[in-house]
Amino acid sequence: MPEVKSQQGDVGLLEPRIIDPSLMRINADDHAVLMGGRCGDCGAISFPRTPVCASCLSEGVEACDMPQTGTLYAFSVVHQARKNWVTPYAIGYVDLPNGKRVFAHLKAPHDTLAPGMTVGLTHGVVGHDDEGRPLMTYLFTPAHHEA
Amino acid sequence: MQDVFVVGTGIIPFGKYPDKTLADLGWPAVKQAMKECGVNSTQIGAVYCGTALGGMLAGQRVMKMVGPTGMPIINIENACSSSSSALSQGWMAIASGVHDLVVVIGVEKLTKFGGGTLPLEREDWEVNQGMVMPALYAMRAQRYMHDYGLTIEQLADVAVKAHDHGASNVNAQVRKRVTRDEVMKSRMVAEPFTLWHCCPTGDGAAAVVLASPRLARQLGAAAIKVAASEVTSGKFTDGFRDMTWAELTHRGAQHAYEMAGLGAEDIDVAEIHDAFTIAELMYYEAFSFCERGRGHELLASGRTSLGGDIVVNPSGGLLSRGHPVGATGIAQAVEIVRQLRGDVGAHQVEGAKAGLSHATGGGVAGYDHGACSIHIFTR
Repeated sequence: MPEVKSQQGDVGLLEPRIIDPSLMRINADDHAVLMGGRCGDCGAISFPRTPVCASCLSEGVEACDMPQTGTLYAFSVVHQARKNWVTPYAIGYVDLPNGKRVFAHLKAPHDTLAPGMTVGLTHGVVGHDDEGRPLMTYLFTPAHHEA
Repeated sequence: MQDVFVVGTGIIPFGKYPDKTLADLGWPAVKQAMKECGVNSTQIGAVYCGTALGGMLAGQRVMKMVGPTGMPIINIENACSSSSSALSQGWMAIASGVHDLVVVIGVEKLTKFGGGTLPLEREDWEVNQGMVMPALYAMRAQRYMHDYGLTIEQLADVAVKAHDHGASNVNAQVRKRVTRDEVMKSRMVAEPFTLWHCCPTGDGAAAVVLASPRLARQLGAAAIKVAASEVTSGKFTDGFRDMTWAELTHRGAQHAYEMAGLGAEDIDVAEIHDAFTIAELMYYEAFSFCERGRGHELLASGRTSLGGDIVVNPSGGLLSRGHPVGATGIAQAVEIVRQLRGDVGAHQVEGAKAGLSHATGGGVAGYDHGACSIHIFTR
């Protein structure tokens, strides 16, 4: 990621920005947590968290942590995209044990990815915004890559 | 409900027209459609204009070029189904007896975005995380290949067929035949798709004139009946979905067949939404042209190629004719109507009596597709 690295001496602009803080947080131990919603009235889970429950129309949807591992349903390696992304990059759909499917960047040598493999949550930089600030987000990586 | 007929058709050659305005793309198609049936703009009860990214009042901008305005002009956005949705609104206006004659336009200018993949809605959380349209279809392709053993070489055959057809269509954007090898070796876009697996971006416009039975008789022009007109939306879920099955298209197809009183076996020619190669095979299955997982067998049999008994995308489809998104639905309708009249040109399907058009699309998180519109035409 040469473009990202070249900007890392630029204090102030350099602090990575989480693409969407409503979807994730990074705990003090540097582990990423994916956050969805749970309806306080009917218990329906949503990802991303919705402001209104599509099952019962309750607006009492609270944040809840999502499972940390899942199964890769399908993926693609993208070679052509907006300049904000470091190409080529791998993205895919990860099926979580709570029945939710999450769109995510994947961190692994691309030729090791396969549908059906178990993947776990981590985080990292995947590009930069229009001002050159690194963009950070949640990532899934093959389970055996995890520390 | 009264019958609805297509009495006029118009289309411009699809391509890249960076120096033309949206109105300049649109008016020649409208003029052609009006001339074909001999109507003047004072006879037009209403205009429905489909465009996804053309901006405000596209229909007004086009219609001011071709005569007196003042009729209701309704602009419709439904992503890749914009002008097919407009067609359905036009059909409804006549079927219900509100109007005797309407014009439906599809017009789009994608060159204003300067190339690259289609600009998607950045408020969408998946787009915001890096989703692009080719990757969505690429994942369908990958999972389909995983589940059914389809090979990338077999998938490339879809592009070969599309460009064989498109090469003889004077209105196609890409009129070059390609080999399986050329498809395989072209630039990578989103694995497993190389460039030839993807439809080009560009500009285009098409128009039809719809009429009631009374006005169709009065005009005396060749009339093709709209036997079914339907619009469906995808079923949202943030849970699991079988990406190898086009549920939305299948649901729409069942409804359209029922409305027309026809079955898959009655269709002689179809223009379906092959935005990427895998889409064509999945839609063969969704339209019940073949069983699930057997799309490539049907392609390899030659039945969907010119000379076959269920010719799919004789125009070259989105892959070859091009896919200026909002214009596609009416371009497909023009193609099918001309096929049924027998005056489409070098890529004529001989003796076609029933044809269908299908435009579906919209990359929105949680939907198979956002919208799908299907029409069946008969003579």
